Amino acid sequence: MTTRIILAIIPALALTFAIPFVDSVEPRILGLPFLVAWIVAWILLTPIFMWNVYRLEQKS
Amino acid sequence: MSGPLIALGIIAVVLLAVVFVSSLSVRGILMDPQQYMVAGRSFGPFLLWLLMAGEIYTTFTFLGGAGWAYSHGAPAFYILCYGTVAYIISFFLAPAIWRVAKKHNLLTGADFFATRYGSKALGVIVAIVGFVFLVPYVTLQLSGLEILLHIAGYGSFNAAVAVSVAFIIIAFFVFTTGIRGTAWASVAKDALVLLGVIFAGIVLPIHFFGSPANVITKVLQQQPDYLTLPHASTGLGTTWFVSTVLLTSLGFFMWPQSMQAIYSAKNEDSLRRNAVFLPVYQLMLLLVYFAGFTALLVMPGLKGPAADQSFMLVVQKYFSPFTLGALASAGCLAGLIPASAQILAAASLITKNVMGDWLGIATADRERTLTTRILVLVVAALSLFFWLVAKSSLVGLLLMGYNGVTQFFPGVVLAFAWKRTSAWGVGAGIVVGVAMVAYLSLTGRSVFEGVNSGFAALILNAIVCVVVSLLTPAPESVERGASVAA
Repeated sequence: MTTRIILAIIPALALTFAIPFVDSVEPRILGLPFLVAWIVAWILLTPIFMWNVYRLEQKS
Repeated sequence: MSGPLIALGIIAVVLLAVVFVSSLSVRGILMDPQQYMVAGRSFGPFLLWLLMAGEIYTTFTFLGGAGWAYSHGAPAFYILCYGTVAYIISFFLAPAIWRVAKKHNLLTGADFFATRYGSKALGVIVAIVGFVFLVPYVTLQLSGLEILLHIAGYGSFNAAVAVSVAFIIIAFFVFTTGIRGTAWASVAKDALVLLGVIFAGIVLPIHFFGSPANVITKVLQQQPDYLTLPHASTGLGTTWFVSTVLLTSLGFFMWPQSMQAIYSAKNEDSLRRNAVFLPVYQLMLLLVYFAGFTALLVMPGLKGPAADQSFMLVVQKYFSPFTLGALASAGCLAGLIPASAQILAAASLITKNVMGDWLGIATADRERTLTTRILVLVVAALSLFFWLVAKSSLVGLLLMGYNGVTQFFPGVVLAFAWKRTSAWGVGAGIVVGVAMVAYLSLTGRSVFEGVNSGFAALILNAIVCVVVSLLTPAPESVERGASVAA
C-alpha cells in the first residue's frame, strides 16, 4: 500500500506544491515556457505512475 | 446561401443527428430508476470514459479556458493541473464509492451520505445543496451556448431564442433516454470537440504565425511575464494557483452528476483504468490555450466576458461559415451534453432524496422514473429562467459551484477513513462550509490573502465535522470499517 501511495503522491505534488518552484519561462522546451512544459510532462507521466499503481493493486 | 444560415444550419443538423442516433441507444430497455439514473450499473471502460469526459469537458473547456488564457495568461494553466490531480484521487476514491453504491443500489450522490451515515435528513441536505449549485452550472452551459450561437449567426438575430430551442430539445432528449443517452451522445461530442480543439489550437496558430511555438514567442515579446504566474497582489499568484488546484481537484468528483457516473460503472476495474488514462485527455486544454493566445495576438483588446468569445470571433472573421459552423457545433455539444447530465442529476436528487426519502412521494419504480422525467423538464425550465434573468462570466460561476460542491468532500473521504464520523458532524460541516462560501462570494471577501476562499471554507468544514462527530454518537453504519484500499 505504501508504495502505491508514494507512486500516486509524486505526480500530485508535482502539479500542486511544486508549481511555485517551476514558475519560469526559461528554459523553453519545444517552444513551451518551462512552467507549461513541466505541467505537460507531468500530465504525460501521471498515467505511467498510475499504471504501476494499478498493477500493484491487481497483484495484491 | 448566407453565412449565418450555413453556420447555424450545420449546428442544427449536427445537434439533431446526435440526439436522434443517441436516442436509439435506449430501444428495448425498460426504464426503471436504476436504468434511467445509473444505466443499471453496466458501463465498461469505454462508455464510462466517454460519459466522464463527456461531463467534464464542457463549453467551459472550449471558451472559458481560451478566455482565461486570453485575459489572464498563466493562471489559466490551473485547469490543466486540477483535472489530472482529480483523476489520481479518483483512482482510490471512486472504486470505494462504487462498492457502497453497488451494495445498496444507490442512485444519487446524496444517497451515499444517507446510506453511509444512516440519515435520510443528511441525504436531504446534500441533495438540496447539490441542486442549488447544479443550477448555476447548467446556466453556465447556456451562456456558452449563447456566445457560440451569437457568433455563428454573425450577430444577425437574437441568440437567446436559439439557445432556448436547443436546450428544450436536450431536455426532451434527457426525458427520453436518461443517462444512457448522455453517454452515447458523448461519443459524437468528444470526437467533434477533439477535432475542434485541434483546429483551434494547431491550425489557427499555423495559419497566422507559422507554428504554435511562434505564438508563444510573440506573446512573450509583447508581455514577457504573461506566461508565468503574476504577483500575489493580483489575487492570482502562486498561492492562489496551488490552493485552487487543490480545491477543484477535491471537488471534481463531488458533483452529483459525477457521483452518478461513478455508480454507472460495471465494476471497480473500469473506474481504475479510467483514472489511469483520463489525464491524457487534459492535453486538449493545452491546445485551447494556444487558441486563446492566438486570439490575443490577432484580436487584442477584448475585455471581461468578451474574452470568452475570443477565438470564435477570430474564426468568424477569418474563416468560412462552414468552418465556423463545424467548430460552433462542437462547442454547442460541449455545452448541451454536460448540461444533460447536470439536469438529470438535479432531477434525480429531488425525486429520490427530497420527494422519495423525505416526503414519501413516488417511491415505487414506475412513479419514480416518471417523476424524474417530469422534473428533468422542470429543472431545465428553471435553469433557462435563471439564465434569462441573470448572466455572468463563465469562470466566476464555475468556481463558485466548485467551492460549493467541494464541501461534500470531508463527508465522502471520512466515510472510509474515520469510523467515528457522524451524520451530525458531516451535516454541520457542510452547512458551515456552504454558508462561508456564500458569504465570501456575496461580499467578495477573502480570508487569507490570495487563498481560494472555497479552500478556507473546506478547512473550517472539516474541523466542524470532526469536532461535532466527537460530540455526537457514532453512526449505526452499514459500511463501518470499509476501507478505501480494500
